[in-house]
Amino acid sequence: MNDLQTLDITTCVSNTVVQVFDTMLSMAVEIFPENPPPLPDGLRYVGSVAFAGDATGSVSLEMSDAFARLLTANMLGMETEEIEGTEEIEDVIGELSNMIGGDVKSRFCDRGLPCELSVPSITSGSNFRIEQVGTMHRELIGIGFQEYIAHVQVCIK
Amino acid sequence: MTVKILTVDDSKTIRMIVKKAFKPFDVELVEAENGVEGLAMADKTKPDLIILDITMPVMTGIEMLAKLKEQDSLKDIPVIMLTAESGKENVMQIVKMGVKDYMVKPFKGEQLIDRASKFLDIRRLDDGPSLDKEYHHILLDGDICVVTPPDKISRGVMLEVDEFFKSKANQKTGVSKLVLDLGKVAKTNVNLIELVVVVIKNAQKEKVHVRVVGSETQAEEFKGFQETSDIPIHPSVAEAKSTF
Repeated sequence: MNDLQTLDITTCVSNTVVQVFDTMLSMAVEIFPENPPPLPDGLRYVGSVAFAGDATGSVSLEMSDAFARLLTANMLGMETEEIEGTEEIEDVIGELSNMIGGDVKSRFCDRGLPCELSVPSITSGSNFRIEQVGTMHRELIGIGFQEYIAHVQVCIK
Repeated sequence: MTVKILTVDDSKTIRMIVKKAFKPFDVELVEAENGVEGLAMADKTKPDLIILDITMPVMTGIEMLAKLKEQDSLKDIPVIMLTAESGKENVMQIVKMGVKDYMVKPFKGEQLIDRASKFLDIRRLDDGPSLDKEYHHILLDGDICVVTPPDKISRGVMLEVDEFFKSKANQKTGVSKLVLDLGKVAKTNVNLIELVVVVIKNAQKEKVHVRVVGSETQAEEFKGFQETSDIPIHPSVAEAKSTF
Protein backbone atom coordinates (compact mmCIF):
# COMPACT_ATOMS: atom_id res chain seq x y z
CA MET A 1 0.00 0.00 0.00
CA ASN A 2 2.97 2.35 0.53
CA ASP A 3 3.41 3.15 -3.17
CA LEU A 4 -0.34 3.67 -3.47
CA GLN A 5 -0.39 5.91 -0.44
CA THR A 6 1.98 8.33 -2.16
CA LEU A 7 -0.35 8.51 -5.18
CA ASP A 8 -2.91 11.30 -4.94
CA ILE A 9 -5.81 9.26 -6.27
CA THR A 10 -8.36 12.02 -5.79
CA THR A 11 -6.42 14.49 -7.93
CA CYS A 12 -5.64 11.85 -10.58
CA VAL A 13 -9.25 10.75 -10.88
CA SER A 14 -10.51 14.34 -10.82
CA ASN A 15 -8.20 15.32 -13.68
CA THR A 16 -9.19 12.23 -15.66
CA VAL A 17 -12.90 12.87 -15.18
CA VAL A 18 -12.55 16.50 -16.31
CA GLN A 19 -10.64 15.39 -19.39
CA VAL A 20 -13.07 12.58 -20.28
CA PHE A 21 -16.13 14.78 -19.94
CA ASP A 22 -14.52 17.63 -21.85
CA THR A 23 -13.11 15.52 -24.69
CA MET A 24 -15.95 13.05 -25.26
CA LEU A 25 -18.92 15.16 -24.19
CA SER A 26 -17.74 18.79 -24.43
CA MET A 27 -19.01 19.21 -20.88
CA ALA A 28 -17.29 21.35 -18.28
CA VAL A 29 -17.97 19.58 -15.00
CA GLU A 30 -17.46 20.60 -11.40
CA ILE A 31 -15.51 18.26 -9.15
CA PHE A 32 -16.36 17.60 -5.51
CA PRO A 33 -13.13 16.03 -4.19
CA GLU A 34 -14.71 15.06 -0.88
CA ASN A 35 -18.17 14.73 0.66
CA PRO A 36 -19.97 15.01 -2.66
CA PRO A 37 -23.69 15.72 -2.77
CA PRO A 38 -25.74 12.52 -2.63
CA LEU A 39 -27.27 10.96 -5.68
CA PRO A 40 -31.01 11.36 -6.11
CA ASP A 41 -33.33 8.46 -5.31
CA GLY A 42 -34.69 6.36 -8.11
CA LEU A 43 -33.24 4.48 -11.04
CA ARG A 44 -29.44 4.57 -11.19
CA TYR A 45 -26.69 3.16 -13.38
CA VAL A 46 -23.27 2.03 -12.20
CA GLY A 47 -20.42 1.23 -14.56
CA SER A 48 -17.51 -0.63 -12.93
CA VAL A 49 -14.11 -1.85 -13.96
CA ALA A 50 -11.86 -3.96 -11.77
CA PHE A 51 -8.09 -4.05 -11.74
CA ALA A 52 -5.97 -6.86 -10.36
CA GLY A 53 -2.28 -7.45 -9.86
CA ASP A 54 0.13 -5.58 -7.64
CA ALA A 55 -2.70 -3.09 -7.25
CA THR A 56 -6.15 -4.59 -6.82
CA GLY A 57 -9.49 -2.88 -6.58
CA SER A 58 -12.18 -1.25 -8.65
CA VAL A 59 -13.32 2.02 -10.18
CA SER A 60 -17.03 2.70 -10.53
CA LEU A 61 -19.08 5.52 -12.03
CA GLU A 62 -22.61 5.93 -10.68
CA MET A 63 -25.35 8.33 -11.68
CA SER A 64 -29.07 8.78 -11.98
CA ASP A 65 -31.08 7.63 -14.98
CA ALA A 66 -31.66 11.25 -16.02
CA PHE A 67 -27.95 12.11 -16.03
CA ALA A 68 -27.14 8.86 -17.81
CA ARG A 69 -29.65 9.69 -20.53
CA LEU A 70 -28.24 13.18 -20.93
CA LEU A 71 -24.71 11.82 -21.32
CA THR A 72 -25.87 9.13 -23.73
CA ALA A 73 -27.74 11.63 -25.90
CA ASN A 74 -24.76 13.95 -25.86
CA MET A 75 -22.24 11.25 -26.69
CA LEU A 76 -24.29 9.73 -29.51
CA GLY A 77 -25.58 12.97 -31.01
CA MET A 78 -29.27 12.46 -30.35
CA GLU A 79 -32.05 13.85 -28.20
CA THR A 80 -32.80 12.14 -24.88
CA GLU A 81 -36.28 11.33 -26.16
CA GLU A 82 -34.77 9.32 -28.98
CA ILE A 83 -33.08 6.85 -26.61
CA GLU A 84 -34.96 3.57 -26.77
CA GLY A 85 -34.28 0.89 -24.19
CA THR A 86 -31.19 0.76 -22.03
CA GLU A 87 -28.56 -0.78 -24.29
CA GLU A 88 -27.15 2.53 -25.49
CA ILE A 89 -27.12 3.98 -21.97
CA GLU A 90 -25.30 0.96 -20.59
CA ASP A 91 -22.76 1.06 -23.38
CA VAL A 92 -21.99 4.76 -22.83
CA ILE A 93 -21.72 4.41 -19.05
CA GLY A 94 -19.54 1.34 -19.52
CA GLU A 95 -17.23 3.18 -21.91
CA LEU A 96 -16.93 6.21 -19.62
CA SER A 97 -16.07 3.97 -16.65
CA ASN A 98 -13.58 2.14 -18.89
CA MET A 99 -11.81 5.41 -19.72
CA ILE A 100 -11.68 6.57 -16.11
CA GLY A 101 -10.60 3.14 -14.87
CA GLY A 102 -8.04 2.83 -17.65
CA ASP A 103 -6.32 6.01 -16.59
CA VAL A 104 -6.28 4.98 -12.92
CA LYS A 105 -4.78 1.63 -13.91
CA SER A 106 -2.14 3.42 -15.99
CA ARG A 107 -1.12 5.51 -12.98
CA PHE A 108 -0.63 2.36 -10.91
CA CYS A 109 1.43 0.71 -13.64
CA ASP A 110 3.62 3.78 -14.05
CA ARG A 111 4.31 3.58 -10.30
CA GLY A 112 5.65 0.06 -10.62
CA LEU A 113 2.39 -1.64 -9.64
CA PRO A 114 1.45 -3.68 -12.73
CA CYS A 115 -2.14 -4.78 -12.94
CA GLU A 116 -4.74 -5.77 -15.49
CA LEU A 117 -8.06 -4.10 -16.18
CA SER A 118 -11.34 -5.95 -16.61
CA VAL A 119 -14.00 -5.17 -19.19
CA PRO A 120 -16.70 -2.88 -17.77
CA SER A 121 -19.76 -4.26 -16.03
CA ILE A 122 -23.02 -2.35 -15.70
CA THR A 123 -25.55 -2.51 -12.89
CA SER A 124 -28.86 -0.67 -12.87
CA GLY A 125 -31.73 -0.42 -10.47
CA SER A 126 -33.18 1.75 -7.76
CA ASN A 127 -32.48 -0.10 -4.53
CA PHE A 128 -28.94 -1.43 -4.40
CA ARG A 129 -25.48 -0.71 -3.11
CA ILE A 130 -22.15 -1.66 -4.65
CA GLU A 131 -19.46 -2.69 -2.20
CA GLN A 132 -15.93 -3.93 -2.81
CA VAL A 133 -15.19 -6.68 -0.30
CA GLY A 134 -11.94 -6.26 1.63
CA THR A 135 -11.46 -2.61 0.71
CA MET A 136 -8.62 -0.97 2.58
CA HIS A 137 -8.84 2.41 0.95
CA ARG A 138 -11.79 4.20 -0.65
CA GLU A 139 -12.09 7.52 -2.44
CA LEU A 140 -15.45 9.02 -3.41
CA ILE A 141 -15.48 11.94 -5.83
CA GLY A 142 -18.49 13.89 -7.03
CA ILE A 143 -19.02 15.13 -10.59
CA GLY A 144 -21.45 18.00 -11.01
CA PHE A 145 -23.04 19.30 -14.23
CA GLN A 146 -25.93 21.75 -13.98
CA GLU A 147 -28.40 20.08 -11.62
CA TYR A 148 -26.93 16.62 -12.13
CA ILE A 149 -24.48 14.72 -9.94
CA ALA A 150 -22.46 11.56 -10.47
CA HIS A 151 -20.09 9.66 -8.20
CA VAL A 152 -16.75 8.07 -9.00
CA GLN A 153 -15.60 5.56 -6.39
CA VAL A 154 -12.12 4.06 -6.29
CA CYS A 155 -11.68 1.08 -3.97
CA ILE A 156 -8.28 -0.46 -3.32
CA LYS A 157 -7.64 -3.68 -1.47
CA MET B 1 -11.19 6.68 -54.42
CA THR B 2 -13.29 5.51 -51.47
CA VAL B 3 -11.17 4.40 -48.56
CA LYS B 4 -12.27 1.37 -46.54
CA ILE B 5 -11.85 1.41 -42.77
CA LEU B 6 -12.60 -1.44 -40.35
CA THR B 7 -13.43 -0.52 -36.74
CA VAL B 8 -13.05 -3.33 -34.23
CA ASP B 9 -14.39 -2.41 -30.78
CA ASP B 10 -16.87 -4.07 -28.42
CA SER B 11 -18.23 -0.64 -27.51
CA LYS B 12 -21.06 0.49 -29.75
CA THR B 13 -20.40 4.00 -28.44
CA ILE B 14 -16.86 4.05 -29.80
CA ARG B 15 -17.96 2.57 -33.13
CA MET B 16 -20.55 5.33 -33.43
CA ILE B 17 -18.00 8.02 -32.57
CA VAL B 18 -15.68 6.67 -35.29
CA LYS B 19 -18.58 6.55 -37.75
CA LYS B 20 -19.52 10.16 -37.01
CA ALA B 21 -15.92 11.31 -37.29
CA PHE B 22 -15.56 9.86 -40.79
CA LYS B 23 -19.04 10.79 -41.98
CA PRO B 24 -17.91 13.91 -43.90
CA PHE B 25 -15.32 11.92 -45.77
CA ASP B 26 -15.23 9.52 -48.70
CA VAL B 27 -14.89 6.51 -46.43
CA GLU B 28 -16.64 3.16 -46.36
CA LEU B 29 -16.86 1.93 -42.77
CA VAL B 30 -17.22 -1.67 -41.65
CA GLU B 31 -17.39 -2.85 -38.06
CA ALA B 32 -16.74 -5.79 -35.78
CA GLU B 33 -17.37 -6.31 -32.07
CA ASN B 34 -14.37 -8.48 -31.16
CA GLY B 35 -11.15 -9.91 -32.51
CA VAL B 36 -12.71 -13.03 -34.02
CA GLU B 37 -15.26 -11.04 -35.99
CA GLY B 38 -12.57 -8.49 -36.79
CA LEU B 39 -10.32 -11.09 -38.38
CA ALA B 40 -13.19 -12.44 -40.45
CA MET B 41 -14.19 -8.94 -41.57
CA ALA B 42 -10.61 -8.00 -42.38
CA ASP B 43 -10.22 -11.10 -44.52
CA LYS B 44 -13.52 -10.47 -46.26
CA THR B 45 -13.21 -6.73 -46.93
CA LYS B 46 -9.40 -6.16 -47.06
CA PRO B 47 -9.68 -2.68 -45.49
CA ASP B 48 -7.19 0.12 -46.07
CA LEU B 49 -6.99 0.80 -42.32
CA ILE B 50 -8.02 -1.03 -39.15
CA ILE B 51 -8.96 0.88 -35.98
CA LEU B 52 -8.57 -1.70 -33.26
CA ASP B 53 -9.50 -1.63 -29.59
CA ILE B 54 -7.30 -3.57 -27.18
CA THR B 55 -9.64 -4.76 -24.45
CA MET B 56 -12.43 -6.85 -25.96
CA PRO B 57 -14.15 -10.10 -25.03
CA VAL B 58 -13.74 -13.31 -27.09
CA MET B 59 -10.43 -12.14 -28.63
CA THR B 60 -8.46 -9.07 -27.57
CA GLY B 61 -7.01 -6.51 -29.93
CA ILE B 62 -3.50 -7.71 -29.24
CA GLU B 63 -4.43 -11.30 -30.07
CA MET B 64 -6.16 -10.17 -33.26
CA LEU B 65 -3.15 -8.07 -34.24
CA ALA B 66 -0.85 -11.08 -33.81
CA LYS B 67 -3.09 -13.14 -36.08
CA LEU B 68 -3.21 -10.35 -38.67
CA LYS B 69 0.60 -10.38 -38.81
CA GLU B 70 0.56 -14.10 -39.54
CA GLN B 71 -1.40 -13.69 -42.77
CA ASP B 72 0.37 -12.40 -45.88
CA SER B 73 -2.81 -10.86 -47.23
CA LEU B 74 -3.50 -8.90 -44.03
CA LYS B 75 -0.15 -8.23 -42.35
CA ASP B 76 0.56 -4.95 -44.16
CA ILE B 77 -2.80 -3.30 -43.41
CA PRO B 78 -2.02 -0.29 -41.20
CA VAL B 79 -3.52 -0.50 -37.71
CA ILE B 80 -4.35 2.29 -35.27
CA MET B 81 -4.78 0.85 -31.80
CA LEU B 82 -7.32 2.28 -29.36
CA THR B 83 -6.65 2.00 -25.66
CA ALA B 84 -8.01 3.44 -22.43
CA GLU B 85 -4.60 2.95 -20.83
CA SER B 86 -1.84 5.49 -21.30
CA GLY B 87 0.78 3.80 -19.12
CA LYS B 88 4.32 3.50 -20.47
CA GLU B 89 4.39 -0.30 -20.48
CA ASN B 90 1.10 -0.49 -22.35
CA VAL B 91 2.34 1.98 -24.94
CA MET B 92 5.64 0.13 -25.36
CA GLN B 93 3.78 -3.13 -25.86
CA ILE B 94 1.60 -1.55 -28.53
CA VAL B 95 4.58 -0.06 -30.33
CA LYS B 96 6.45 -3.39 -30.28
CA MET B 97 3.46 -5.08 -31.91
CA GLY B 98 4.16 -3.03 -35.02
CA VAL B 99 1.07 -0.84 -35.12
CA LYS B 100 1.23 2.34 -37.14
CA ASP B 101 -0.16 4.49 -34.36
CA TYR B 102 -2.28 4.40 -31.24
CA MET B 103 -4.85 6.62 -29.60
CA VAL B 104 -5.68 6.88 -25.94
CA LYS B 105 -9.33 7.24 -25.02
CA PRO B 106 -10.80 9.80 -24.60
CA PHE B 107 -10.19 11.28 -28.01
CA LYS B 108 -11.95 13.69 -30.33
CA GLY B 109 -13.11 12.64 -33.78
CA GLU B 110 -10.84 15.15 -35.49
CA GLN B 111 -7.82 13.67 -33.71
CA LEU B 112 -8.66 10.30 -35.22
CA ILE B 113 -9.02 11.86 -38.67
CA ASP B 114 -5.61 13.50 -38.31
CA ARG B 115 -3.98 10.19 -37.39
CA ALA B 116 -5.70 8.25 -40.16
CA SER B 117 -4.73 10.93 -42.69
CA LYS B 118 -1.09 10.08 -42.11
CA PHE B 119 -1.61 6.68 -43.73
CA LEU B 120 -4.50 7.23 -46.07
CA ASP B 121 -5.59 9.77 -48.62
CA ILE B 122 -8.90 10.67 -46.96
CA ARG B 123 -10.97 13.07 -49.00
CA ARG B 124 -14.01 15.07 -48.05
CA LEU B 125 -17.22 14.13 -49.79
CA ASP B 126 -17.59 17.67 -51.14
CA ASP B 127 -15.47 20.80 -51.27
CA GLY B 128 -17.13 22.35 -48.27
CA PRO B 129 -18.09 21.15 -44.86
CA SER B 130 -20.16 18.02 -44.33
CA LEU B 131 -23.30 19.87 -43.41
CA ASP B 132 -26.57 18.08 -43.75
CA LYS B 133 -28.40 20.59 -45.86
CA GLU B 134 -31.79 19.39 -44.63
CA TYR B 135 -30.87 20.74 -41.21
CA HIS B 136 -28.48 23.58 -41.70
CA HIS B 137 -28.31 26.71 -43.79
CA ILE B 138 -25.35 28.99 -44.26
CA LEU B 139 -25.36 32.17 -46.31
CA LEU B 140 -22.32 34.15 -47.28
CA ASP B 141 -23.04 37.84 -47.68
CA GLY B 142 -19.74 39.46 -48.60
CA ASP B 143 -17.58 39.09 -45.55
CA ILE B 144 -20.51 38.18 -43.30
CA CYS B 145 -21.51 34.59 -42.75
CA VAL B 146 -25.06 33.98 -41.48
CA VAL B 147 -25.52 30.65 -39.76
CA THR B 148 -29.12 29.52 -39.24
CA PRO B 149 -29.36 26.28 -37.25
CA PRO B 150 -32.52 24.16 -37.58
CA ASP B 151 -35.32 23.90 -35.03
CA LYS B 152 -33.65 20.93 -33.33
CA ILE B 153 -30.01 21.14 -32.26
CA SER B 154 -28.57 17.66 -32.17
CA ARG B 155 -25.00 16.89 -31.26
CA GLY B 156 -24.40 16.08 -34.90
CA VAL B 157 -25.46 19.57 -35.95
CA MET B 158 -23.16 21.09 -33.37
CA LEU B 159 -20.17 19.09 -34.54
CA GLU B 160 -20.87 19.87 -38.18
CA VAL B 161 -21.13 23.60 -37.48
CA ASP B 162 -17.88 23.41 -35.54
CA GLU B 163 -16.18 21.66 -38.45
CA PHE B 164 -17.60 24.11 -41.01
CA PHE B 165 -16.56 27.09 -38.96
CA LYS B 166 -13.01 25.85 -38.64
CA SER B 167 -12.66 25.19 -42.35
CA LYS B 168 -14.37 28.28 -43.74
CA ALA B 169 -14.20 31.14 -41.36
CA ASN B 170 -11.49 33.68 -42.12
CA GLN B 171 -9.45 31.24 -44.16
CA LYS B 172 -10.91 30.45 -47.57
CA THR B 173 -13.70 32.97 -47.90
CA GLY B 174 -12.30 35.95 -46.06
CA VAL B 175 -15.18 35.84 -43.61
CA SER B 176 -14.48 38.14 -40.70
CA LYS B 177 -18.01 38.50 -39.34
CA LEU B 178 -20.58 35.91 -38.39
CA VAL B 179 -24.22 36.14 -37.40
CA LEU B 180 -25.66 33.16 -35.54
CA ASP B 181 -29.41 33.33 -36.14
CA LEU B 182 -31.30 31.23 -33.59
CA GLY B 183 -34.71 32.27 -34.86
CA LYS B 184 -35.64 28.76 -35.97
CA VAL B 185 -34.45 26.94 -32.85
CA ALA B 186 -37.43 25.58 -30.92
CA LYS B 187 -35.91 24.79 -27.54
CA THR B 188 -33.17 26.27 -25.39
CA ASN B 189 -31.32 23.24 -24.12
CA VAL B 190 -27.79 22.05 -23.35
CA ASN B 191 -27.07 21.40 -27.02
CA LEU B 192 -28.04 24.94 -28.02
CA ILE B 193 -25.89 26.45 -25.28
CA GLU B 194 -22.97 24.30 -26.37
CA LEU B 195 -23.49 25.35 -29.98
CA VAL B 196 -23.35 29.01 -29.03
CA VAL B 197 -20.23 28.44 -26.92
CA VAL B 198 -18.55 26.47 -29.73
CA VAL B 199 -19.25 29.22 -32.26
CA ILE B 200 -18.02 32.00 -29.98
CA LYS B 201 -14.87 30.10 -28.96
CA ASN B 202 -13.99 29.34 -32.57
CA ALA B 203 -14.72 32.97 -33.51
CA GLN B 204 -12.33 34.22 -30.87
CA LYS B 205 -9.69 31.83 -32.11
CA GLU B 206 -10.15 32.77 -35.76
CA LYS B 207 -10.57 36.51 -34.99
CA VAL B 208 -14.11 36.56 -36.41
CA HIS B 209 -16.63 38.99 -34.95
CA VAL B 210 -19.85 37.28 -33.85
CA ARG B 211 -23.37 38.49 -33.25
CA VAL B 212 -26.11 36.23 -31.87
CA VAL B 213 -29.72 36.76 -32.98
CA GLY B 214 -32.62 35.40 -30.95
CA SER B 215 -36.01 36.07 -29.47
CA GLU B 216 -36.70 37.85 -26.20
CA THR B 217 -37.54 34.49 -24.67
CA GLN B 218 -34.20 33.06 -25.75
CA ALA B 219 -32.42 36.13 -24.40
CA GLU B 220 -34.04 35.56 -21.01
CA GLU B 221 -33.29 31.85 -21.06
CA PHE B 222 -29.64 32.50 -21.94
CA LYS B 223 -29.28 34.55 -18.78
CA GLY B 224 -29.90 31.37 -16.81
CA PHE B 225 -26.79 29.67 -18.17
CA GLN B 226 -23.37 30.73 -16.95
CA GLU B 227 -21.84 30.23 -20.40
CA THR B 228 -24.29 32.55 -22.16
CA SER B 229 -25.45 35.00 -19.51
CA ASP B 230 -23.21 37.80 -20.79
CA ILE B 231 -23.86 37.36 -24.50
CA PRO B 232 -25.94 40.16 -26.00
CA ILE B 233 -28.82 38.85 -28.08
CA HIS B 234 -29.89 40.89 -31.08
CA PRO B 235 -33.52 40.93 -32.17
CA SER B 236 -32.88 40.50 -35.90
CA VAL B 237 -30.20 39.64 -38.44
CA ALA B 238 -30.42 43.09 -39.99
CA GLU B 239 -29.92 44.78 -36.63
CA ALA B 240 -27.04 42.46 -35.80
CA LYS B 241 -25.32 43.22 -39.12
CA SER B 242 -25.69 46.95 -38.52
CA THR B 243 -23.67 46.70 -35.33
CA PHE B 244 -20.52 45.39 -37.03
